[in-house]
Amino acid sequence: MTLTERILARAAGRSSVRPGEEVWASVDLAVMHDSSGPRRIGPLLDRLGGRLWDPEKVVLAIDHFWPPATLTQAEIVTLTRAWARDHELPHFFDGHGVLHNLLLEAGLVRGGMLVVGADSHTCTAGAIGAVAVGVGATELATVLATGEIWLRVPSTVLIRFEGSLPSYLAARDLAMTVLGYLGADFAIYRAVEYGGDAVATLPLDERAVLTNQAVEMGAKNGIIAPPPDAARIQGDSLDLAPTAPGDCEAVHTFRVSDLEPLVALPPRVDHVRPVRELEGLRVDRAYIGSCAGGKTTDLRLAARVLRGRRVRVPLVVTPATQGVVRECLADGTLGTLAEAGVVLQAPGCGACAGLHSGLLGPGERCVATVTRNNPGRMGHRSAEIYLASPLTVAASALTGRLTDPREVL
Amino acid sequence: MDVLEGTAWVFGDHVTTDDIYPGRYLERPLEEAGRYAMAGVDEAFASRVQRGDFVVGGVNFGAGSSREAAVVALKRVGVAAVVARSFGRIFFRNAINNGLPAVMVPDTSQIRTGDRLRLDLTFRQVTILHTGVTLPILNLTGISLEILRAGGLLPFTEARLARRRP
Repeated sequence: MTLTERILARAAGRSSVRPGEEVWASVDLAVMHDSSGPRRIGPLLDRLGGRLWDPEKVVLAIDHFWPPATLTQAEIVTLTRAWARDHELPHFFDGHGVLHNLLLEAGLVRGGMLVVGADSHTCTAGAIGAVAVGVGATELATVLATGEIWLRVPSTVLIRFEGSLPSYLAARDLAMTVLGYLGADFAIYRAVEYGGDAVATLPLDERAVLTNQAVEMGAKNGIIAPPPDAARIQGDSLDLAPTAPGDCEAVHTFRVSDLEPLVALPPRVDHVRPVRELEGLRVDRAYIGSCAGGKTTDLRLAARVLRGRRVRVPLVVTPATQGVVRECLADGTLGTLAEAGVVLQAPGCGACAGLHSGLLGPGERCVATVTRNNPGRMGHRSAEIYLASPLTVAASALTGRLTDPREVL
Repeated sequence: MDVLEGTAWVFGDHVTTDDIYPGRYLERPLEEAGRYAMAGVDEAFASRVQRGDFVVGGVNFGAGSSREAAVVALKRVGVAAVVARSFGRIFFRNAINNGLPAVMVPDTSQIRTGDRLRLDLTFRQVTILHTGVTLPILNLTGISLEILRAGGLLPFTEARLARRRP
């Protein structure tokens, strides 16, 4: 069985499952935020009796509408906070950062778990060897009431990254390599598992970029086998070893030393070209943030490019979590960014969800580490979002033009 | 509900949930969702669509965000079914969970906006009525069909919970 099949078999109380089978599975962790959460889910849960099946297994974070920019957003935050209090939620993050990053940072998600979340980037949690699946609000309401979900067992596509990662590349370049070559729908209804020695050497927050971007490939979940010393689900002999290539529907291998910095052109995550082909294209703004691109490694890579220099176009940075702020404060990263003229913001989803914190105006062109680049994602429909690694975003902020980080490193 | 007839509104490949329900309306209450249906690609859609019409997409319809408002917007504005070559999987589940048939067929290139379509879940076909071309339905089996027939996941779950109680 694949890693995803082994985890789903355990969750379904079965010795084995096969791709294509439908199973009822017990959920280990159910997660939501202020946009998908109480304001949508609360009334649905009330119809099902109003009681949580297990508050210990529920996580709620205020991240989308924080800090609120309008009174309507403030009302949503207030409602969310009151719901958390009324339901005595033990795991409630009150504006401390993005749900997906907090789950990994706080160690709430562990290898072998089945995680279900009311957000498409729930798949991020697969970075530590969980099966993490995004759903809508109604589905999560039924999970909160029953602790169960039905799932069709996905087949697995294995993506292997081999070799050592050059200093001018980040995990985002690897994810864009897959999207550029295989497209935005190759993994619909499938699991995407990442392996290879290049993945094993990435820090956890960078492995999480690969699993985060699985949903942009259409996948049900993205997963990486956890290191042997990683926290795993308790009291269980579940095998969390990487999947053997022979058990996969398809295997694709990329040698990372031969890859180059990439950019995804609007309006599609899979319109991927090398930065060098577009070099010189004027940009109005640069942005580093989101569950995919506001992590400690993103800020550190940007600081490496920006040290001792000044940005030419506004570069806004939204750290993903309060933990990122603490780490980057301690090692001097935030000081380096501030010296370079970067605008630093409060942790959260930031401008990625298109709700506040620096929306794009008509026709503005932004190079950004956000999750997606479809029209209207960060503001006006005519604004253009070029997705890139934090290295490329920082290099482009220095010149005001799309710039390959090799030009400035 | 096994047989539905409606007029097609055809959209292309990779229609995202930001196209179906732009993120800037996320803070609005769900009761207003219908006003913004398809606003990301066609601002006039919500005022022109008729109750019972079908939305037709290509590959990966409903890709992206998990926002259920995308499905609620289509339901509230009267869309009776969505037909596509493939779906973003969260959009698909949200559709079924809200009792909106989301039907996969092998090819939608022969369907034009304005065509009358018949969707038949018993014989598992979508027919383009004026040409007689039939397209086999590839999904909606097992649990997803049970949920759809129950009228959505809430009534389905209410019945499941009721059966469990002694």
